[in-house]
Amino acid sequence: MESVIRIQNLTKTYGKKRGVADVSFDVHKGEIFGFIGPNGAGKSTTIRSMLGLIRYDSGSIEILGMDAVRDHEKILKDIGYMPSEALFYPAMKVSDVIKYAADVRQADCTEEAGRLCERLQVDTAKKIRELSLGNRKKVSIVCAMQHKPRLFIFDEPTGGLDPLVQNTFFELIKGYVNDGATCMLSTHILPEVRNHCDRAAIMREGHLIMADTVDNLIKTSAKCVRVEADGEIREYMYDGDINDLLAELSGRHIDNVTIEEPSLEDIFMHFYDGGKERV
Amino acid sequence: MTAIIKQELKLNLKSMLIWALTVGGLGFICIMMYTSMEGDVVEMADSFSEMGAFSDAFGMSTLSIATIAGFFATEVGTVHGLGSAMFAAFFASSMLSKEEDGHTGEFLYALPVSRGKVITAKGLTILVHLAAFTLICGAFYAAGFTALGEEIPSEELIRFLTCMLLMNVEVASVSYLISATSSKTRMGLALGVSLIIYTYDIMGRVIPSMKDYLFLGPFSYVNASEIFAHMDVPKYSFTVAAVTVVLMTAMTYVTYTKKDLAC
Repeated sequence: MESVIRIQNLTKTYGKKRGVADVSFDVHKGEIFGFIGPNGAGKSTTIRSMLGLIRYDSGSIEILGMDAVRDHEKILKDIGYMPSEALFYPAMKVSDVIKYAADVRQADCTEEAGRLCERLQVDTAKKIRELSLGNRKKVSIVCAMQHKPRLFIFDEPTGGLDPLVQNTFFELIKGYVNDGATCMLSTHILPEVRNHCDRAAIMREGHLIMADTVDNLIKTSAKCVRVEADGEIREYMYDGDINDLLAELSGRHIDNVTIEEPSLEDIFMHFYDGGKERV
Repeated sequence: MTAIIKQELKLNLKSMLIWALTVGGLGFICIMMYTSMEGDVVEMADSFSEMGAFSDAFGMSTLSIATIAGFFATEVGTVHGLGSAMFAAFFASSMLSKEEDGHTGEFLYALPVSRGKVITAKGLTILVHLAAFTLICGAFYAAGFTALGEEIPSEELIRFLTCMLLMNVEVASVSYLISATSSKTRMGLALGVSLIIYTYDIMGRVIPSMKDYLFLGPFSYVNASEIFAHMDVPKYSFTVAAVTVVLMTAMTYVTYTKKDLAC
């Protein structure tokens, strides 16, 4: 499968502080790739390294077959990036911001920008300082999509958007992906990953825990176990031999036990907590 | 790059016009005050020129303030020198850092433009706005001379404004480096630097032992009294200015292109 993003052994530290360590993963052409992890997991550091906003210490990043450092400017022509904060110059009009982004790209995006503004109901006459977070996000979506890039990178894109706009947003992404684009979606919202992503990677404390298809992540051999015994309730993920689990439980007075397939949320929480059991 | 230049020119136009109208307007008012003070100024000129080192510092021993040229050089020279240096520092010190301070860097630097080109575009914007500022102020001063019915000392005025523009570029280059090194806008620091440079020049003219080192400061070649009296600027002043501008600009490129942006 053709890789649109290939990250190998990416390491970045901020002085003594951890950024990311030895992160490697691929994003394939035509997929929507979820990038999951709690705050401080290293998602933004990875994305910022990809975009050249920060310089990484070691490893390599290849985007669209080009080196992220050497071919930085060329790569950005084919990327549509939406930052989590969506901040623009407050004194500018929305229409001016959208046109400015197109002008820097030296592209005439009038038609596509118009279509996007209509779909997302963006008021282009307003000034940026008059917009709410949700409306600024909509402007950011237009800026990221208007030049029809080959790769989309979204950092927490749906925060502040109402459910209707969220739906429109994912419809738009799917439209571009059907036309051959690729999308990397960094998010905390697991249903977004479950409903829209083909594959996903989970980050924790600067390390990549796992990367696989969303189906495989859910179909893990680990089970979500809930035991009510001896007056206490224990709930944990169990990844060992099921016979060993039954043997362990057999010596106790069990009031109730449930063993079920974990949801993506359970899996995420399992990695989030570092695999510790939750009682 | 053209899009960034256009954008920055537009974003900073209002601020530049306010500074130019303020400094130019103050200069105009100073020139207009000459007629109302004309009678008294002859006596004042004699006492001012006999104040030793202080007369030297403010150029009052070089040119009599009883003449319109002397009055302009002494009064407007100081107003324009300080005002334009503060404008240059204020303007350049926020040019790069404002992208991180205002969190707009993630928008700008995700567009296909290298940081080197952004530095060049914003640097050119500073130059254009400094030149426009100088021209507007120059127009005010010329209008002042005309309003008084005096002949405009074109040659001296052009030389004065050109030297001021060079001084502004020098101050701006230092402030631009401050802007590149910090993720917060350090306007106070930049304004402080411009005031220290001005104070250095005053001290250099008052304290005899410092006179030999006057050429190190950018105010050494913008003393209006010396310009209007056709005196030579201190040796190496322009060389130091050129070296400072080149060095500061080079350091800005090196620092900013290697920097981790906190946007």
